[in-house]
Amino acid sequence: MAQTDVPAGTLTLMVLRTLDQMGPQHGYGIARRIEQVSGDRLQLNQGTIYPALLQLEQNGWIKGSWGVSENNRRARYYAISRAGKRRLAVEEDRWRVASETILKFLAPTSDRGVS
Amino acid sequence: MTALRAFAARLLATFRVERSVDLDEEVRAHLEMQAQEYERRGLTPEAARAAALERFGPVEPMKNTYRDRRIFPTVEAILRDVRYSARFIRRSPGFALMALSTLAIGIGATTAVFSLVNRALFQPLPVERPNEIVSLSNGGSRGMLNLFSYPNYEDLRDRADVFDALVAYRFTPIAASANGVNERLWAYLVSGNYFGVLGVRPAIGRAISLEDDAQRGASPVAVISFRYWQQRFGGDAGAIGRPVVVNGRTYTIIGVAPRGFFGTEVAAAPDFWFPLAMQPVIESGSPRIDDRRADTVFVLGRLRAGVGRPQASAALDGVAAGLSREFPDVNEAMRVVLSPTGLFGGMMRGPVLGFTGLLLVIAGLVLLLACVNLANLLLARAIDRRHEVAIRLSIGAGRVALLRQLLIESLMLSSAAGVAGLMLAWWLMRSASAMRLPVDIPIVLDLPLDGRVLLFSVLLSLVTAVMFGLVPALQATKVDLAGVLKDSASSSQRRTVRWRSALIVVQVAVSLVLLTGAGLMWRALGRTQTIALGFSTRGALEVSFDLRLQGYAPENGREIHRRLIDSVRALPGITQAALADIVPIDLHFGRGRVYAEESAAEREVRTPVAYSSRITPGYFRTMGTRLEEGRDFTEFDNQDSQRVVIVNRSLASRLWPGQSALGRRLGIGRVMGFGTPGSQAGRSDIFEVVGIVEDGKYGGFNDNGALAVFRPLFQSYSGATSVVARTDGDIGAAIAAVRGAVREIDPNMPIGAARSFEERLSVPLLPARVTALALAGFGALALVLAAIGLYGVMSYSVSSRTHEIGIRMTLGAQPSDVLRLIYGQGSRLIGIGVVAGVVLAVFVTRLMRALLFGISPTDPMTYVAVVIGLSVVALLACWIPARRALKTDPVEALRVS
Repeated sequence: MAQTDVPAGTLTLMVLRTLDQMGPQHGYGIARRIEQVSGDRLQLNQGTIYPALLQLEQNGWIKGSWGVSENNRRARYYAISRAGKRRLAVEEDRWRVASETILKFLAPTSDRGVS
Repeated sequence: MTALRAFAARLLATFRVERSVDLDEEVRAHLEMQAQEYERRGLTPEAARAAALERFGPVEPMKNTYRDRRIFPTVEAILRDVRYSARFIRRSPGFALMALSTLAIGIGATTAVFSLVNRALFQPLPVERPNEIVSLSNGGSRGMLNLFSYPNYEDLRDRADVFDALVAYRFTPIAASANGVNERLWAYLVSGNYFGVLGVRPAIGRAISLEDDAQRGASPVAVISFRYWQQRFGGDAGAIGRPVVVNGRTYTIIGVAPRGFFGTEVAAAPDFWFPLAMQPVIESGSPRIDDRRADTVFVLGRLRAGVGRPQASAALDGVAAGLSREFPDVNEAMRVVLSPTGLFGGMMRGPVLGFTGLLLVIAGLVLLLACVNLANLLLARAIDRRHEVAIRLSIGAGRVALLRQLLIESLMLSSAAGVAGLMLAWWLMRSASAMRLPVDIPIVLDLPLDGRVLLFSVLLSLVTAVMFGLVPALQATKVDLAGVLKDSASSSQRRTVRWRSALIVVQVAVSLVLLTGAGLMWRALGRTQTIALGFSTRGALEVSFDLRLQGYAPENGREIHRRLIDSVRALPGITQAALADIVPIDLHFGRGRVYAEESAAEREVRTPVAYSSRITPGYFRTMGTRLEEGRDFTEFDNQDSQRVVIVNRSLASRLWPGQSALGRRLGIGRVMGFGTPGSQAGRSDIFEVVGIVEDGKYGGFNDNGALAVFRPLFQSYSGATSVVARTDGDIGAAIAAVRGAVREIDPNMPIGAARSFEERLSVPLLPARVTALALAGFGALALVLAAIGLYGVMSYSVSSRTHEIGIRMTLGAQPSDVLRLIYGQGSRLIGIGVVAGVVLAVFVTRLMRALLFGISPTDPMTYVAVVIGLSVVALLACWIPARRALKTDPVEALRVS
């Protein structure tokens, strides 16, 4: 059951990366972080983060638990699991290879002779 | 791994409902935090809230996506239906109990009967790769049983290259004595390759090998059954190497067969296996296996890999043709037929299939009735549920969803009934396994609850659910909304009533079939009391014994026979006594072809088959059989005198129509028996007819005008005989006295059967009794179900017509008019059902012909009695609703509406 729909890989990677770098976060925090990092270039409906979080949790890559937010409100915090860290490494590699390949194609080249 | 984990998480979530509120809280928190952020940037609370919502995107679609992904939506919906149905079923426990019990009885009975069919027909032999094993039968002109002579077996084995190997075996009663216990048991005599080819490895010790079977009489070894090992040796491994005395000779136990290995015939489970080479020793006085003319062994073959049955059959035809050419006198027109294993090479297949098939039909009919009844109750409930269904439809529930819920309700009922039915079936099967059949052959009756039986009961439950649930569910969901709102009898309601009426007709018809079957069986059983048997049972008894088992040679045996008759006749209370090699009525009665001497030339063409037995002088007087012409045998009809026979009336007029048979001469071909291999083999002899006796029953109650020929025991010896005797005193004391007389001759003589003729005749009646009992029980059940159904329909009809009846009574209708109205409707249903049932019964009861002992399947007495009885009960079921209709108070009835 390889789930490749809605988040289509990118969202998965971004969520895992965020949680790995910042520690446990609630849904709002994760959404904000993604927006900030992308320089508000990535306009996503914040709500879509929740089905993605559910899927990650079902896969055992993150773990959710109830906690208290900065403004003393009950909120659900997500933390990356060990399986999630392994997954993150795999995903990072994949994206690096993929983007390097794509970049190579897009780079203006002189040494590649056309026959 | 990850996928599995996700699947488990979803499945877990599906069965827990409460968690879905968590998302709401999470979304609320998210929106608040975002709104606070906006407020900090200076927006008004209202604007901040709106902006937060805008940023979040559409909430409801997200929640739906979330929900669908969190759980399995279909599973969840079904679970909801299950919970709903369970609540509904619990609300009407009376209905549930009634549904469960009738269905459980139907499913249980059908499953139990199926397990019998399963055991008899589908169960593979307990050997390695059983589907490669086929049974070879001798389809030649002479064979009564599917046996081959041993030399023919050897030739088939060596020439038919379509088989990996052929094995041969025969079975025979033995007297075995181990650890001081002397008993009469059954044994297989097997070829040396038997265990190896079948791939049966002994539990302990070793199996019979080719060396054991190499030389006649040289290897006195035995493999014992697991059961015998447990019973006589307590499962002690030290049994290997111990001696056991069989038919007067000592054998060494070399191995124990694995648990569950019952040999290679379902109807003959042995306790011993010996090498076939020991046959002359174990069965002294029996046909020698080296005689090509004596058919003595069953043959099984393991097909070579890649060889199909048609190919094997063709190859065997070639081999058989060769054997016919080489031995034209014994192998004339030899043919080899392949058949499935386990039922004596196909011989018993037809009868077994017929009997179990009939039982299956009966049980199936009862299940059908239970379904019909339940469908009827559900239809009634469908009417009560109109409002509920209408409401659910009007708030947008799809018809498919409603159907699903109703079918799930049926499925829940039928599954619960399936479980109860399986328990009932298991109990029935256990009882059947524990039952000791009063038959002198070791039938395997352990009915295993295997995968096939389980699958059958599961499928049965599913089919049942659809059968009783589908029509009511379709009816219930076909609600005419406007009609329900107006609360008037809508067209869908009338349709429902029509369905219910149709079901009543089915019920009446099916119970009529069952009751007719039961009635015919009772008539047939009653008839066996008055049937002309050709002998009289009162005060008659038999005690059977087998001199061969104690190793007596024919010369000594004859002397013992003479002494025994004298000593039995001298016993107090015994008025008559004689010996016979087989006593009627017995399925195993010997049979042989007979022909008039003068027509010997055409004897192989179409000679009639006659029952044949060997008797001593005085047998007919003892049996109470009338000697119509000529004389009885005397002491002087012995080995030194002219060979003579007595025939029955039918045989006399068959061979010499219109002439006197006395003094004529006839020939008797090979006589074949079953389990009593005592006949002089091979010799076709000419005999002079000295007497003619009345006809009788020999092999079964169905014998009508059966031919029979009797030879003097003193001219043609048999080691296996029965004392028949008649007493004018106490039968029990007489049996004990005759037993004593046999024991006096040889204290170790194992006694096969010692019983009165009444007891003896109960054996061939067993299948009929079982069927009659099943039919009567099921028939009564069916009648009750039909009466309940009829009562339900009539009650409903009366209550829904209260208004109409009230008007009629106000307008001056007399009570008799009202009665006519109600009964008119009821009796029309009953009438149609009865007619349909009679037509059906005429077809179905034909299946039972073999069990009816000459009663016609269309016996008018039975039909009239059943129709009247059933109609009376059915009309009684209408009585209570009719009386209620009469009590209708016109004023009340009109006021209600």
